[in-house]
Order: sequence, then C-alpha cells, then structure tokens
Amino acid sequence: MAAEPTFETAPAARPDGDLLAVRDLTATAALADRSLTLLDGVSIAIAPGEVLGVVGESGSGKTTLARAVVGLLERNVSIAGGAIELAGETIVAPGVGATDQARGRRVGMVFQGASRSLNPLIRVRRQLAEVLRRHEPGISRDDVTRRSEDVLREMRIEDPDRVLDSYPHQLSGGLRQRVAIALAVVTRPSLVIADECTTALDVTTQAEVVRLFRTLIDDLGLGLLFVTHDLMLASDLCDRIVVMSQGRVVESGPTAEVLDRPQDPYTRRLLAAVPTWTEGVENPHA
Amino acid sequence: MSQFDASATASAVELAPAPPGRRRATRRAGGDRPRRARRTSVFWLSAPLILIAVTVVVLPWTGLLHDPHQQDLGNPLAPPAVLSGGEWSHPLGTDKLGQDVLARLVEGGRLTLLIGLVGALVAIGPGTLVGVLAGYCRGWVDVVVSRVIDAQLALPFILIALAVIASQGSSLPILFLVLALTGWAPCARVTRSVAMTVRERQFVLGLRAAGASEVRIVLRHVVPNLAGTIVALGTLQVGTAILVESALSFLGLGIVPPDISWGAMLASGQDVLSRAWWVAAFPGLAITVVVLLVNLLGDALLTHHDPRKRRR
Repeated sequence: MAAEPTFETAPAARPDGDLLAVRDLTATAALADRSLTLLDGVSIAIAPGEVLGVVGESGSGKTTLARAVVGLLERNVSIAGGAIELAGETIVAPGVGATDQARGRRVGMVFQGASRSLNPLIRVRRQLAEVLRRHEPGISRDDVTRRSEDVLREMRIEDPDRVLDSYPHQLSGGLRQRVAIALAVVTRPSLVIADECTTALDVTTQAEVVRLFRTLIDDLGLGLLFVTHDLMLASDLCDRIVVMSQGRVVESGPTAEVLDRPQDPYTRRLLAAVPTWTEGVENPHA
Repeated sequence: MSQFDASATASAVELAPAPPGRRRATRRAGGDRPRRARRTSVFWLSAPLILIAVTVVVLPWTGLLHDPHQQDLGNPLAPPAVLSGGEWSHPLGTDKLGQDVLARLVEGGRLTLLIGLVGALVAIGPGTLVGVLAGYCRGWVDVVVSRVIDAQLALPFILIALAVIASQGSSLPILFLVLALTGWAPCARVTRSVAMTVRERQFVLGLRAAGASEVRIVLRHVVPNLAGTIVALGTLQVGTAILVESALSFLGLGIVPPDISWGAMLASGQDVLSRAWWVAAFPGLAITVVVLLVNLLGDALLTHHDPRKRRR
C-alpha cells in the first residue's frame, strides 16, 4: 500500500446505490421451548455520507439489527429471512453470516461504554496497531504509527502521542470514547455502526461525540447507523430516522418529518415521553 | 478511587505540555516512583527465592557440607551449634541417624523446589487450557468439561494418590502425575469462570466486530486478562505441591529414601519431636518461608501485571 496519507473510504459505495441495504430482515431467537421473533421484516437503507438514526425503546430490536450487520448475533439467534447488502454485495442472509473481512475493514462498530470496549491491559497504541495489521497485513511499522496518530488527530485529540502511550484507565471518559471511535474508523470503513455509544456519557461529552461524528461523516463520507433511545440526540445528528417497536419498523423518514409530524401512534407516545420536544424546540437540522 | 484517579490522570494527559523527546509521556509528575517501587518489591521477593534455589544447587558442590547420606550413629540427635552441646561441625544439628541436618536441608531443597515448580506447572497448564476452552467456547464443550471437573473434585485426593501410587509405584514422575491429576480441576474451575466473565466484556465483542480471529482474541486478549488469576493459582499451587509431597512422604507414599525432600525430613522428625525439635523444625521453617515468599511474589507479580493497580 502507498505510504502517502489517504483519507478516502474503502471503495464500497456504488455512486447510485445504497451503502447499506437491509431488506425484509427477519431474525429469530431459539429459546428453550419456543422461538421468539426479534426482527420482523425490517428494511432500512443508508446512502454514503448519510446518518440513519434507529430509535425505539429497550427490546425493540435496535441492537439486534446493529449486531446482525456485523454478524455478531448471539449464539441462539438466527436469520430467518431477508438479506443485508453492503454496497450491493449480500453479506448476511439465511445461512450466510457476515464474514471476517466484512467486519472491521468495511464496517466499524462503536459500542456503549467505551471504558469497556478497550482492553484494559494494552496501551492504545497496540490496540490500534492490531486492528490495522489485521486488515492490512504487511503494513509497515511507520505506517501503523502514522495512521494511528492521524486517526487520533481526526478525533480532535491534540496530543496523539500521549494518548497512544496511555492505558485506557489513564484517559477520561470522553477521550476513551474517542479512542473507541478511532478503533472503529482507523481501517477506513465505509459504514460505522454506533450502538448506544453515547448512553453512558454525560451530556457535554455526548455533544462532543455527536459533533465528532458529524465531522467524520462530512470529511470521510462514511455512512452511519446510529442506534439510540435518545430522541434529542438523534434529532441533532441524524438525516433520517427509523422508529422501531417490537422488532418492526413502525415509521421512517427524514428526521424533521418523523419528529414534527409523527404518523404512528408508537412514535407519538415515544415523542410524548420527551417533554422538551413537544414544547416546540427547533430541530437544528430541519 | 479509580474513577477519581483516572480523570485526574486524563486531565494531566490533556493539559500538560509534551516534554520533547520523551517516549513514555503519560506519567504524572513523579509518576515514575510508584512503578519503580513496584519493580523493587518484585525484586526483593524474587531475590531470596533465587538465592535459596542457587544455594541448594551450588552449595553441595563446594565441599563445605557433610555428605547428606553419611550416617554417624555415635552422634545422633546432636543439637544445633548455638545450643548447649552443639558443635559447629553440625550447625543445625543431626538427626536420629547422625546425619547432618544442614546438608540434608540443602539436598532436600533441590527436590522440594523442583516438586513445587513442576508440580504447579503440571496442574496449572492443563487446568488453564481446559478452563479457558470451556469458559470461552461455552456450549457442549463447557458442559462436558464442567461435568468432568465435578467428577474429579468428587474424588478424594488421597484416594487418587493411593490408587496411582499403589499401581505404579512411588517415583518422581508418578508424584507429578498425582499432582497433575488432583490439581488441574480446581484451576480449570476458576479459570473457566473468569474466562466466562472476560468473554462477556465489551472489548471482546469489539475485537470480534473488528474482525479479529477467535484464536487471537483468546491468546492475546482473554488469557492476558486471566494472567492475574493464573499467577495467583500458580503460586498457591507451588505451596500446595510442596505440602502434598510432605503429606505423601509422611505416609510413605512420596519421596522414598535415600532421596531427600523437606517433606520427608519433616516426616522423619515427627517421632523425635519432643527430644530433638530441630530435625523437623528446620525443614518445616524452610517450607514455610518458601511457600510464603512464593505467595508474596505472586501477589507482587499480579500487581505489576495490571496497569490499573500499579499506581497505588
């Protein structure tokens, strides 16, 4: 691979098509005595450079959807129908699991609770290097260092060298979350999945992370699947919103439309639970 | 404590200007000191152990000691030199056959340390392997392994030892076999449960999301996170192995004369304890000191290994 800095995403998106297309996805969990439908004919699509928010209460299937895309479903959960396509290529279908290559290289994932998504025994430098080496075998030591520093600078970390030489416990919560995001985007995936990644953070740090995502999307043109239960946060960041309830998509559309003129009774109930919104706060992206 | 400490460190990381040309720049002012102190404690605990090991290996070669097997029936149960009636020719006295206790202590130390070390490894190695496999893979592997562990733990130690030694005779390899057979199950049970909790930690999921292979996750991420447990188990097992050998020697199932171990010495001193305490006391003291040092060293290593604990 050439040594000069590259900021393009992996060549994944067709210019005309969707980056990620989930078509009619059905997932079931096998329990001891019965099977439970976790996802029931879910269809979503994300274009390059677009942020799709997936909102819904606990148990609505948000996380299952996110996990299905990277093939990290629980052992007893299987895909019963439908397909997931990444840049036109089917990566998940009944009997087809997301391959290792699809993970990390083309899809990055950020989890809830960054402090737990970093190995406490290993310095940040080695954790980043490991992901880079995994997806770009033969990458030189200098390239690893340079790419690691570059990605931390993109995370607006002023002093990448110090952070690289730190153990996770030596960093603040905000820094840790930024390192976790760096781990997800260091391989330049075309799609990032953020599963409740701001939930454990305080409000100012949440805002920081949201701003950071916005910059990354604008700069790198990656697609973002932003799973959250925080409607205000979703309204701040997302271009479009999908509302999920009991494993189904009950409503979807541009953020402003869904939040200002909710059609589905479930969405209305969800919105009613957020007092500030119903009092007419303007959507900054409307 | 950790939350406060972490945020304080983080702000130091963010705010302090970078000293030019220093590679490890994450320390606080004076943050060097705790780490050096920790290294020192590992050093001060391992140094006496190494000294003991070197002593028992080198000292017999120097010719300063008596032959540990040389009997002197005219001088049985001579007291240590510092007591009245003692002579410096036998600094720690003699046993009931007139053999020099110091020479036997040194000679027995070789075998005892070997038994402690190898005895711990043969239990920890397979135990950890099986435990991590069961804890990480779960499913049927876990079910099978757990039932075998249960079955193993249900068998009394002495029964296994008797059965093996009665059928195979008493020798050093057989002793290691007994230690492996009886020691692996508790190790496997503990490592299994820790591996299960590590497996559920989010960074393991993150690694899988990043496409890391399962083998790599286990070897590079899960096992290092178990290292503390493994070290703790290992040091405990060293003590257990030494004590088990003593118990077996006492029953006449362990080390058989003319071989010497501390356990065997302890056993042979038993019947003269009221008249000549030194025959049993010195090997007993040696066992206590070594087991204690090994346990403290294990604790220091454990603290040294975990970066979160280093700063205390």
